[in-house]
Amino acid sequence: MTDTVQLTAERAEAAAEVSVRDLTVLYRTDQGELPAVAHADIDLPTGTITGLVGESGSGKSTLALSLMNAIPAPGRISSGSIQVNGVGDVTRLEGRALRRVRGRALGYVFQASQNSLNPLKTVGKQLLDLGRAHDVQDMRGLVRRARELADEMGMDGARVLDSYQHELSGGMRQRVGIVLALVLNARVLILDEPTTALDMLSQAAVLEIVRKVHRQEGLTTLVVTHDMGVVSEIADRLAVMYGGRIVEDGPATEVLQRPAHPYTRALIGATARITGDTDTARALPGRPPDLTTVPRTGCVFRERCPLAMDVCAETEPQLLTWAPDRRRACHADPATTAATGEGA
Amino acid sequence: MKGLTRRLLVRLGTGLVMVWVVATFTFFLVHALPGNPGDAQYEQYLTQGMAPETARAKVAVIYGFTSHEPLLQQYTSYMWQLLQGNLGVSISYTGEPVVQVIRAALPWTLFPVLTGLVVSFLVGVTAGVVAAVRRSSRWGGLLSLSGSLVAGVPSFVLALLLAFLFHTLWQILPFGDTSDVTLEPGFNGPYIASVISHAVLPVATYALLSYGGWLLAMKSSVVSVLGDDFILASELRGITPLTRMRYIARNAILPLFTVLALSLGFMFGGSVLIEDIFDYPGLGNLLLKSIGARDYPLMGGAFLLITVAIVLANILAELLYSVIDPRVRR
Ligand SMILES: Nc1ncnc2c1ncn2[C@@H]1O[C@H](COP(=O)(O)OP(=O)(O)OP(=O)(O)O)[C@@H](O)[C@H]1O
Ligand code: SF4
Ligand SMILES: [Mg+2]
Repeated sequence: MTDTVQLTAERAEAAAEVSVRDLTVLYRTDQGELPAVAHADIDLPTGTITGLVGESGSGKSTLALSLMNAIPAPGRISSGSIQVNGVGDVTRLEGRALRRVRGRALGYVFQASQNSLNPLKTVGKQLLDLGRAHDVQDMRGLVRRARELADEMGMDGARVLDSYQHELSGGMRQRVGIVLALVLNARVLILDEPTTALDMLSQAAVLEIVRKVHRQEGLTTLVVTHDMGVVSEIADRLAVMYGGRIVEDGPATEVLQRPAHPYTRALIGATARITGDTDTARALPGRPPDLTTVPRTGCVFRERCPLAMDVCAETEPQLLTWAPDRRRACHADPATTAATGEGA
Repeated sequence: MKGLTRRLLVRLGTGLVMVWVVATFTFFLVHALPGNPGDAQYEQYLTQGMAPETARAKVAVIYGFTSHEPLLQQYTSYMWQLLQGNLGVSISYTGEPVVQVIRAALPWTLFPVLTGLVVSFLVGVTAGVVAAVRRSSRWGGLLSLSGSLVAGVPSFVLALLLAFLFHTLWQILPFGDTSDVTLEPGFNGPYIASVISHAVLPVATYALLSYGGWLLAMKSSVVSVLGDDFILASELRGITPLTRMRYIARNAILPLFTVLALSLGFMFGGSVLIEDIFDYPGLGNLLLKSIGARDYPLMGGAFLLITVAIVLANILAELLYSVIDPRVRR
């Protein structure tokens, strides 16, 4: 393992820390195996925070779990590769090698990380379990590092390690989740809905902390969320998912200001409505699809798309670069979407 | 620690109330029965030519009260006797204090019931974990099926079946009484061996009866814990499978401790049937005999003891629970 780390350690500037290619994940349903993620291509550039947004069921968590090669049964990665810097193709790992990558190279903060701790053991004991699982020799060092991280996140490290989950507040649990994800010096941090279960104050605090550790530890971070507000707060880059497809990505501010896909535009419009900006508010019509209701041919968004054309029902649009560092999957003219997107 | 002490006190309090209710119930049972047994006894003594005073005193010794006093006074004197650990005198075991009769029978229920419970708990819980983890394989399915099958058999059918197979048909195991009557009771090899072999059938019955319940309860508990967020979270942290298994087992077994206390009570109740079938002279057998002989003091004593056992089991379960679960320890 250490050999491969050294071999690939010298990487090119601005290379991607994680690159996902043609990733397809299938879940077995009573209608056969259906894709929750289809032909996804995405890079997490080293040192950036990428926001992954989309409505419920769009496949965000599935994509994030794929990065850990942890798709639960009855699902499986059916094609594609996920190259992680210093690790190789995660989809080819299994058993002990895979287990070692989880936690050491890739830190994952779980969607429901309010309950991501064993309720019967103190945080400290679980930290030791983690150390043992990864053959850490210097347990004192591990504890010291955990305390440092906790202090860095504005908690009393010693007290936290002595606590059970039920003794911690929601925001603290979230932070403990981040500590455990980073304590083995993972380079990549994946956060699935880090703010969903929290009140507004804790949300802001957690985002602040994510930004801080991201900078201090020099991480590459993926934040999965359905909350556009979160993305606009912290993300450098933004990827939008719909029906298992990445439909648009690019630099966060650009995508937010000039969405190039009708779905992105609708999402931003829906957010404006929630935040009370009624002039630009526009409801997102229809319901988000799930595995069984997503259109099988053509564009996955066509049933809710105001710009849908004949071609949209026949040919699935590819995710293509249409401007520098911007990609979209849509048959409509970028000028059309941009023009009508002005209001949002 | 404050919370735990309070909960234990609550358990103790409700337990004492339960004991009090059962005691009061037996008191009034004796009164409500047609031809009040105390009076009947008194009349019988009179017809035997006893002086009324002596007869009354004898009845008072047996029941702790006589019906010649006002009801409230009878009740308080009965309760007073009870508080001093005096449960009256058995009628069918002439002259023997109820406490002594019960003390002689108690071990023969306690020992098989507890052994059966421990065995079935350990085996059932282990099998439950396997059945849950391997639930999509054939072995897991078979294991679950064994649990459902055994759990569905009525206790007397199981007892009769075991007795028929192992005693009558294959003649491997003895039957009836606690040991070979020709042996000298005491700490000697043959006697102990005989006690053990006599206990095998009742113990096996108790164990089999509750095995299915433990298996199914543990299986569903493990399945639910497997779906808990922290298990997936620990997998995503690269925790070893063995450690994860330990997390699962410890979390899954928690709810079973409450059932453990309940099932101890159930098994004490079940001992009435099973000891009768195996002709095993424990508490259940005693209770049945006392009913047949209309030995009310003995009956009341046995009821009371079973109540106390259930109360104690509940307190024990609460303690066990708090040792394992930090959330209730506070
Ligand atoms: N274990 C599973 N079995 C079958 N289908 C599943 C399973 N897990 C997820 N799916 C389906 O895959 C699709 C994507 O799910 P996923 O959890 O990735 O969505 P998401 O974008 O994270 O949504 P949310 O915002 O609700 O977390 C959904 O349609 C969901 O119903
Ligand atoms: S491809 Fe067609 S249906 Fe899909 S988003 Fe573009 S215009 Fe709408
Ligand atoms: Mg999700």
